[in-house]
Amino acid sequence: MNSFSKILPALAAVVLLTPCLEAREAPKSALQNYVPWEDETVHTFENLLVQQDGRVKPLYTVARFTLLQFSGKSKVSFQTQDGETHSIHYAAWLLDVLFRGQIAKDLPVFVVDDTAAVVQIGVSPMMPDGTTPKSKRDRYSYNELISGRAKLAELSAQYAEKEEQHKKSEKDPQFELDRVEGMILTLGRNISSFEFLVGQFGFARQGEMLVNENILPPEMIELAKRLDTIEMLDKMPEMTLEQLVQTVRQQPGATEEERMFSGALRLFFFHANSARGLNLFPPQKTDDEVWVSGGDALLAGLASKEVRPWAKEQLGGIRTLVKAQKEGEPAFLAALKTFSASQRSIAESRGEGTYSEMEISLYRGKWFSYSLMCFIFAFIVMAFSWLTPGSKVGRTLILVASLIALVGLIFDIYGITLRSIIRQRPPITNLYDTVLFITGVAVLLGLIIEYFTRVGIGTLVAVFSGVMGMFLAMKYEAKEATDTITQLVAVLDTNFWLATHVTIINIGYAAGLVSAIIGIIYLTGRFFGMLRGKTNKDFNQVLTRMNYGVICFCLFFSLVGTVLGGIWANYSWGRFWGWDPKENGALMICLWTLVILHGRMGGMIREIGIHMNSLVLAIIVTFSWWGVNNLGVGLHSYGFTEGVWGSLYTSWMVLGVFMLMGVAVWLQERKKKSTAKDKSLPEESVPA
Amino acid sequence: MAKTPIDWSPANWPRLLYRFLTSFKLATVILILMTVVTLLGTLGQVEHGLHSAKEKYFHSFFFTDKIFGIPVFLPGGLLLMLVLFTNMTLGALVKVRKRWKGAGLLISHFGMLMLLAGGFITWAFSTDGYMALYPGMTTNRVESYREWQLEVIPLSKEGVAEKAWIYPSELLDQIQSDEQRIIKTEALPFDVVINGYSRNATPIPVTAPMAASVTGREIDGYKLSPQKTSKEAEQNLPGCFVEFRPKDGTTPVEAILWAGSYRFDPKEKPMPFTFTVGDQLYGALLIKKSWTVPFELRLDEFVFERHPGVSMARNYESRVTRIEASEPDKALEIKMNEPMRHAGYTFFQESFGPSGSQPGDEMFSQFAVANNPADQWPLWALIINGIGLGIHFVIMLVNFTTRSRNKQAHAAIS
Amino acid sequence: MMLRHFIRYVAATTFFLSVSGCGDRESTAGLVERELSSSEREFKLAESSTERFRYQTRHAAGGDSSVPGSGGGGGPKLVFTTPEGWTDKGASMMRDINFSFGEKGEGECYVARLPGAGGGLLANVNRWCSQMGAEALTEEQVAALPVKPLFGQPARFVTVDGTYSPGMGTTDTFANYRLMGLILASDAGAVFVKMTGPKELVTKNEAAFDQFTQSIDVNTN
Repeated sequence: MNSFSKILPALAAVVLLTPCLEAREAPKSALQNYVPWEDETVHTFENLLVQQDGRVKPLYTVARFTLLQFSGKSKVSFQTQDGETHSIHYAAWLLDVLFRGQIAKDLPVFVVDDTAAVVQIGVSPMMPDGTTPKSKRDRYSYNELISGRAKLAELSAQYAEKEEQHKKSEKDPQFELDRVEGMILTLGRNISSFEFLVGQFGFARQGEMLVNENILPPEMIELAKRLDTIEMLDKMPEMTLEQLVQTVRQQPGATEEERMFSGALRLFFFHANSARGLNLFPPQKTDDEVWVSGGDALLAGLASKEVRPWAKEQLGGIRTLVKAQKEGEPAFLAALKTFSASQRSIAESRGEGTYSEMEISLYRGKWFSYSLMCFIFAFIVMAFSWLTPGSKVGRTLILVASLIALVGLIFDIYGITLRSIIRQRPPITNLYDTVLFITGVAVLLGLIIEYFTRVGIGTLVAVFSGVMGMFLAMKYEAKEATDTITQLVAVLDTNFWLATHVTIINIGYAAGLVSAIIGIIYLTGRFFGMLRGKTNKDFNQVLTRMNYGVICFCLFFSLVGTVLGGIWANYSWGRFWGWDPKENGALMICLWTLVILHGRMGGMIREIGIHMNSLVLAIIVTFSWWGVNNLGVGLHSYGFTEGVWGSLYTSWMVLGVFMLMGVAVWLQERKKKSTAKDKSLPEESVPA
Repeated sequence: MAKTPIDWSPANWPRLLYRFLTSFKLATVILILMTVVTLLGTLGQVEHGLHSAKEKYFHSFFFTDKIFGIPVFLPGGLLLMLVLFTNMTLGALVKVRKRWKGAGLLISHFGMLMLLAGGFITWAFSTDGYMALYPGMTTNRVESYREWQLEVIPLSKEGVAEKAWIYPSELLDQIQSDEQRIIKTEALPFDVVINGYSRNATPIPVTAPMAASVTGREIDGYKLSPQKTSKEAEQNLPGCFVEFRPKDGTTPVEAILWAGSYRFDPKEKPMPFTFTVGDQLYGALLIKKSWTVPFELRLDEFVFERHPGVSMARNYESRVTRIEASEPDKALEIKMNEPMRHAGYTFFQESFGPSGSQPGDEMFSQFAVANNPADQWPLWALIINGIGLGIHFVIMLVNFTTRSRNKQAHAAIS
Repeated sequence: MMLRHFIRYVAATTFFLSVSGCGDRESTAGLVERELSSSEREFKLAESSTERFRYQTRHAAGGDSSVPGSGGGGGPKLVFTTPEGWTDKGASMMRDINFSFGEKGEGECYVARLPGAGGGLLANVNRWCSQMGAEALTEEQVAALPVKPLFGQPARFVTVDGTYSPGMGTTDTFANYRLMGLILASDAGAVFVKMTGPKELVTKNEAAFDQFTQSIDVNTN
């Protein structure tokens, strides 16, 4: 144990430092100054409801994941020309995008991992002052990228096509995007989402603030300034939607009037097209489920005279907001409140948006970040305990670390509970959920082990898995940058099986991973013990019995979970076992725990063997947890993630290093035993 | 651990065999191999598709596979499970010392045996197929997903038939693309000759540019181009050349038959190749193997819902009526996770079609129909297993904690 | 040691089994009679092999039929055969089928459908003429245009050479281009098949164009 005391505090420091590396100097913005929104305005705004991905949610969630996707962070930090540094929240940022587009276009939100990508689209990677170069990985504002807009569109279309072919050709390497190409594609997609958002309320602005003036020919821009898109609804000739679309597609006629009409129509469709995406209006009919965006309302109003008054009312609401914003913040706040109240009362009568405030409290509360901080803190306390192992102080420190870890666990459980309530589902419905859940179970297991053994190992396991798990959850969320509260496909739409099979099988995964952590602790201890010529037999035996117990626990849950999954499959689609990759993954976990148990019963493996095999078990667990989803076959490909294989291989390699340590210890032990045998000493006792 | 020399005399062989079959070592080796085969079978699905990977790795006695480029000969899942079954029966139930401490394990091993036996029965005796219906349709016929058979049907002028003569899929599937098979029958005035059968093929008009690269015969402006078999075995559409040789010596009739002439939608009627021998009109076509269930099912209504604003299906379910001679008609619902079980058959809401349907289109509902004698065995096995392991781990935990306590107490005293 | 013996034994047995399995292939078994159940007694008497093999186009197109709701455009889905060397770029909002061809993908071919007559034959032919910078055709000239089959109906076949300006948001022009297209206008709707590209390339792909346009069919499934 002593052997750790020197290495692990250093490790703890590394873990602590990593998040700090991000906190560099805020990038400079071309903005002269920045006036932040009042808190109340932001709060009212973020509580607005929107339907996205089949679910009514607060605008807050949309803001969070949009910004995460653009910037990889949930905050926008920048320095204005007057020397002030600002850091604005994602909800405030979205407010800027929708209502103060000119400012939003100067905010550095687009992260580019390599300046090479920017150079390729013909933009020089410079700060707004034009002299200081940007860092290799840096954030850019829309205006900084605008000069490369056309090139970006061209390249990203090209790469999107390539990516499509890559998928179609079943991953033919000749269609694989390289790193920079991937970045350009992502940037292109982000820029065009941004344009959609900035232009979202363009129909209510009379020509002002079109995203990119080049989109429209000059005479249309003039026209746009004069036309009120919403009023146009009433002035349309009696034509069907199809006829109107046709008119736009045809060459305009010769007369000035005809050209005007054609131009106005094109403008109308342009606005209708830009205003898609944010479904802010509850549908007119109560039994209709699909919420309506500004674009939908424009088209619906155009198509049907009956819908027109309703559509105009909805669109007018947005126009009121846009106008009020120009009058000043108090007027804007009042308008926002009116809009929100009317939206909410309709949603409530439809039984929607019930948990939207809870959803905001989930993200505002940052429960998972707090949880991670607790585990990191506990880790440090734990590390200090190794400076005085076995002493009263040391034991107290372990107790303190355990308590902090317990607090971290409570944060995790609280967050998971909120998520469950928000979507009215058992805790696990997608891959992100499994990370939160498995971390929780692993921490709990560690603490339970600590309660029974009181040697500090359980706490170490708990803290270690807590740090790793919550860190993974954070990274995964930032990488995916899509709403993690998702809808379910029809097959999964069953709370009973989600609560039983899915939960149980994930407890099995957690146990498998805990077993591997114990194995790592054992092997590291033995290896460094060997280097220093010491072994602590009792301690090692405790570890072995602990691991044995965890493996049994893992077997129990994996087996029950797997068979339950089979019964579900049989119950729902008629076959108990179909050799689906995910089923096979679970089966392999069961098989390998059985190998360990039978191998030990048959005397084929002993202490080192158990711990070494627990690492193999972890490889199998990670394979079936992350790997099989990415094989691209089978029924369980519910969480497809790019770049998982790289991380998996790395983690397997790390496990391999520990196994090599084990092999070294085993070889040395064998040598010792053969010499010991000559002296006819008793053999190492096997713990039961 | 003192080693006594093994008695290899033939008289001792049964004992040695028993010892071998009951050993922990055998169990461990089988479990390791099982893990390896499962892994290979999982990765193999990427290359071969689910169905053929299943056949190759899990429903086999042996297979060879390349691991890092080196060919390896391995036992297949079927063999491994048979050996495991033997090992478990003899080792964990027969040979094991019966004592209270081992009661939990004994019970749980029994559960595992039941699971394996159930798996074997399912593999050997169960059938599965599908039934697709538009609202208003009634049928008692279940079709196979991927087995095709050749049928020769005497037809009326209107295209109606009473009976058919079939060449079963098991025999048809064995015919190679360059093999000739002559089928003689008393009942028909002609012999049927199959001149090559491809498991997946597509007919190509000779006018198409691609036809130039297709070897083989041209019949009625078409050539049959064999295709690589698909990873999804259900997507294969077989084709063959047939010849009907009248027994009276008149000129034989030749044709290309292709599975695509059957139907893709329950509303369509199959389109046989037609020919006349004597005065009788005959049809011939490749048709999916089918069987009947002892009752009829009528689809009354198909309900389909999507998540608002996205194309993802939220729910689909079928309102059906079960029609049986001995019982009054019964109205039922079949939906996801709520199948209909009746007369040994289970009907599951499997899917819907046609593909690309828009909201408001008329859609058909497809049921998976399974008949598995060991249907409920896994559930019982799980309960037995769970009880067994539960008992065992309680015993273990009590042991573990008392020992930990003792150790702590011991440490405190010293 | 014993395990190896065992494996050899089983290997030998299964080898024997598989050999005896092979024997079946040479035997000729007769046909088995079966009653047809009420739902399967009716057959469609096909006129020709073409009718029997009508799904050939769909099969050859290899479309992913398992994904419902993919692709854009309204109306029933189209099935077709992709000519060799052409790249299917999928449907878009206004185009049902979209191809590119040629070394750099400079050749383009698409199918668009519009409800109604789509403005009439004359207007559309002349819209194409104006895109190529060519003189507008008179009604008589249009009526005299050659005809090619599209969905089994006679469609007007147009070939225009000139400098191509696609419009639609770009001001780019392409000199020495050829436009080749089919227009089918009826009260039920208008269908446009338009192929553009450098003159030489388009000429080379005329056969592919014909093959493609003849393969287009409505997916009745």
